[in-house]
Amino acid sequence: MERMDGRDDDTETVARARAGDANAFRRLVERHSHNVFRLAYRMTRNEHDAEDVVQETFLRAYRSLHRFEERSHFGSWIYRITANCAYDSLRARERRQEVTEPVTTDAAADGPVARMPSREPAPDRLVFGGEVRRRVALAMGRMSALEKSAFTLRHLQGMSIEEIGRALDLDASAAKQSVFRAVRKVRDALGRDPGLRPTP
Amino acid sequence: MSHLREDDLILHYYGESADRAAVEAHLGACAPCRDSFAGLRADLAAVADDPAPDRGEDYGPRVWRALQPRLPSRTAGRRATAARWWAPAALAASLVAAFVLGRHFPTGPSPAPIPEQGRDRIFLVMVGDHLERSEMVLLEVVNAEGTGTVDVHSAQESAASLVSANRLFRMNARQAGEPGVASVLDELERVLIEVAHGPSQNGPEERAQLRRRIEGGDILFKVRVLGSRLRSKEKDMAVPGTAS
Repeated sequence: MERMDGRDDDTETVARARAGDANAFRRLVERHSHNVFRLAYRMTRNEHDAEDVVQETFLRAYRSLHRFEERSHFGSWIYRITANCAYDSLRARERRQEVTEPVTTDAAADGPVARMPSREPAPDRLVFGGEVRRRVALAMGRMSALEKSAFTLRHLQGMSIEEIGRALDLDASAAKQSVFRAVRKVRDALGRDPGLRPTP
Repeated sequence: MSHLREDDLILHYYGESADRAAVEAHLGACAPCRDSFAGLRADLAAVADDPAPDRGEDYGPRVWRALQPRLPSRTAGRRATAARWWAPAALAASLVAAFVLGRHFPTGPSPAPIPEQGRDRIFLVMVGDHLERSEMVLLEVVNAEGTGTVDVHSAQESAASLVSANRLFRMNARQAGEPGVASVLDELERVLIEVAHGPSQNGPEERAQLRRRIEGGDILFKVRVLGSRLRSKEKDMAVPGTAS
């Protein structure tokens, strides 16, 4: 997992920021902005929204500095706030677009995997690389804000399901189910074209 | 032999199986599950990451410059009147005003602090001015005439200079629970960015496209209505006893 911790000098800077030193908080902002933006962009896939998330993240962090536990890593803490802000941004976008796609549980997909068709990779999938990317994008578009957030954090960011739950204010079970649903949507999107999903 | 469920395989793929050794043992002994796992791996490998756009070396300081005016005072505590969406930026406006006064009259006496209501009025004037300037830029783009290419370089520069202020106003509006205002500013910002980042030499086709984009969302109308609301509010505040 890509992390922003490992900066030993954060501890002292955070302590100063907590004591009201605005200059110390400025240093934290300048130090972590790039990583916060990268995570925000990864989750929102939109430059404009990611910039808003960066601002909102540091604003929330500033307001919550008194709740930051000094033994924690500031980088991990700011990551969690970023994930939460990005999730809010995705939900806001969902509302703006009035996407009413219901979150469904595919009972069939809960069955034994032996019932699923074989999904062996084959060279012809490479030929359809552009189409695969398009379908993955389609699947991401079909995900709810929660599914997209949980999946991105698990699959691309490498966060554990427990960490995802903490970041998105969910219990671990809800985070896990969101990842499952997201993965099924990806597989559904990839599985419809025989050219993309060679049969055994 | 009962087979593994897809959820078990997903957890195993991400290294989060409750009993990793048992899953591995099963995969070693069960060909259908092994095939299914290979399929899952192949599917998930297709989900690649898009690299984030580079922000440049001065990104941290830029983030700080945009953030600083929005930070609440750590000593004053929270104000009960947070619903006034322009309040944080009004403070910024008073600082700008103080800075401008200081530059023009550097040897004069220190100005008295600007009262809260005065700050609000200054800010409303600033937003009103921002909306008027945005409207002029959009009109310049919409009304660009000519049979060949038209140079919209100056409109682009103006649009680029309006984006940062727009962002500040929009975020304050959203945070203070003014979704209507935030929505108009959000739409305006997207159009301003589009103008700022578009080609500086517009052919008839590009002009028509941009015109459709601007006219299609009625953004000019929305900007005018919002501007009118703010002007009206600002006039109310000018009359003692009528300010909200």
